[in-house]
Amino acid sequence: MIEEMKSAPKGSEYDLYFGPAHPGSGNFGVKLKIDGEKVVSARADPGYLHRGFEKLMEYRTPIQNAVLSDRICILEPLNWNLIHAEAVDELMDIDVPERAKYLRVIMAELSRIQSHIIWYGVFSKGIGFDTGFKMAFGYRDYILDLFELITGGRVYPAGYICPGGVRRDFPKNAKEKILKVIDKINDMIKLEELENPSMDARAKGVGILKVEDAIRLGATGPVLRGSGMNTDVRKDEPYEIYDRLDFEVPIRKEGDAYARYWIGIEEMKESIKIVKQALENLPMGNVIVSNFKKPKLNVKIPEGEVYIRNEVARGEAAVYMVSDGGSNPYRCKIRGPDFLHMIPVLEYLLKGVQIADVPAIYWSLNICPADMDR
Amino acid sequence: MDKKETEFLDEIKSKFKVDGKIQRKQRIWLSTDENKLVEIGKWLKDRGFVHLSAVSVTDWLEEGKYEITYHLWSYDDKILVTVKTKIDRTNPAIDSVAQIWKENAQIHERELHELFGVKFKGNQDLFPLFLDDWQGPAPFRKDFDWRDYVRGEFYDEENEREKVYYD
Repeated sequence: MIEEMKSAPKGSEYDLYFGPAHPGSGNFGVKLKIDGEKVVSARADPGYLHRGFEKLMEYRTPIQNAVLSDRICILEPLNWNLIHAEAVDELMDIDVPERAKYLRVIMAELSRIQSHIIWYGVFSKGIGFDTGFKMAFGYRDYILDLFELITGGRVYPAGYICPGGVRRDFPKNAKEKILKVIDKINDMIKLEELENPSMDARAKGVGILKVEDAIRLGATGPVLRGSGMNTDVRKDEPYEIYDRLDFEVPIRKEGDAYARYWIGIEEMKESIKIVKQALENLPMGNVIVSNFKKPKLNVKIPEGEVYIRNEVARGEAAVYMVSDGGSNPYRCKIRGPDFLHMIPVLEYLLKGVQIADVPAIYWSLNICPADMDR
Repeated sequence: MDKKETEFLDEIKSKFKVDGKIQRKQRIWLSTDENKLVEIGKWLKDRGFVHLSAVSVTDWLEEGKYEITYHLWSYDDKILVTVKTKIDRTNPAIDSVAQIWKENAQIHERELHELFGVKFKGNQDLFPLFLDDWQGPAPFRKDFDWRDYVRGEFYDEENEREKVYYD
């Protein structure tokens, strides 16, 4: 009898499927092997949002792709608009008007702020602090109203940042409204910074990622900076007007979930600084080059290849675009930051933790399944 | 042009047989032979290119080649080096770089194995990533037409309502 019990599988071992339809998790699952309360191993199960953008873009012209690029990441479409537009700009050797560069940066930073607000919201939800979730989604709506005013779409701007500049200039009252919304966001940040017992209890010392592991696993952005690495694409290879702006790169040494959450808040403050500076120095002039104002069909992209890197809210995003001289890109490789955060980094961090810590680690990585699956 | 790009290019050209050009500030493109790849990769990693930003495949259908590109970033030098190599597209196979860039390279190769059908020799885990129960050819190949596939698989030309997809 005792021998039998020894050889039988342990009753405390079981499989748990985390996801794929939780309101905060997005369309993504992790298969956890659990022994009692402890996670033995984790395996990511992506693919729920695979739409094949890389292939779809090969069938379409840059103007159509500008609209398509919205959808790469649901939570920060304007940043992906910008990367796509920059890739086409560089291939076609377009000199983007100065005013358009400022507008692009303002929109990209507002998009980063709202994305970080969502991050705070889902992270709060993950650790059982529901007030944070509701607060975040309430305040995010102020920025969505701005997007509606400027681009016409609340979430998806429909290719507002397009090759050659931006689709249309700011309406007259935009500057004043942006400044008002920034005041609201400052209120939100004050609330976020309040001492929060659930945040301290659930996030501190959880999911520690050492800097050498982070680099090996391919982490970028807030995850890498939370582990103590001083890097930001906006500083390392400034695009648009970032080399003229004054902002800091927040860094934290601990590498735990709390450090990553703290980076998110600090980055919002820096983004607010950037938006204010850009609004102050906004030059007058055109917002789009003349031959893209009314886009002609069958514009040929000159032969060549470019690799464009940008810093989006989640980390390093990149587009590798190859053209063979036709009107559609020949190949468009999209590199999303979450492809690495959600597969190798998440699998590594979940190994050996307590089951109660899984949500805190999961949401501290600022994940978005859309740009992983593409 | 910055000095560090020219210095780097001279250094790698003196060590390996590569073709290289400086595209602009912080962008260097190298092309090399497929059997030199791992050797060059090891040297680059030691040289500071610890971050494998992306791996990509370009399908040159007319030429009959797959071009595999490795985009590498150095946090110290702040330059991006792309290493390109061409392999045969009928039976694509190449040595894995997972021994150099570990899990990061492993997951990129797993994705490309699924989408382009490239066999990465030495990569232990090439299990499908995105597509469940996919039996067809590698879907990102240039000779695979999604529209034809969908028409053939899911629509019926005889059906009154589905005729429009065949015009």
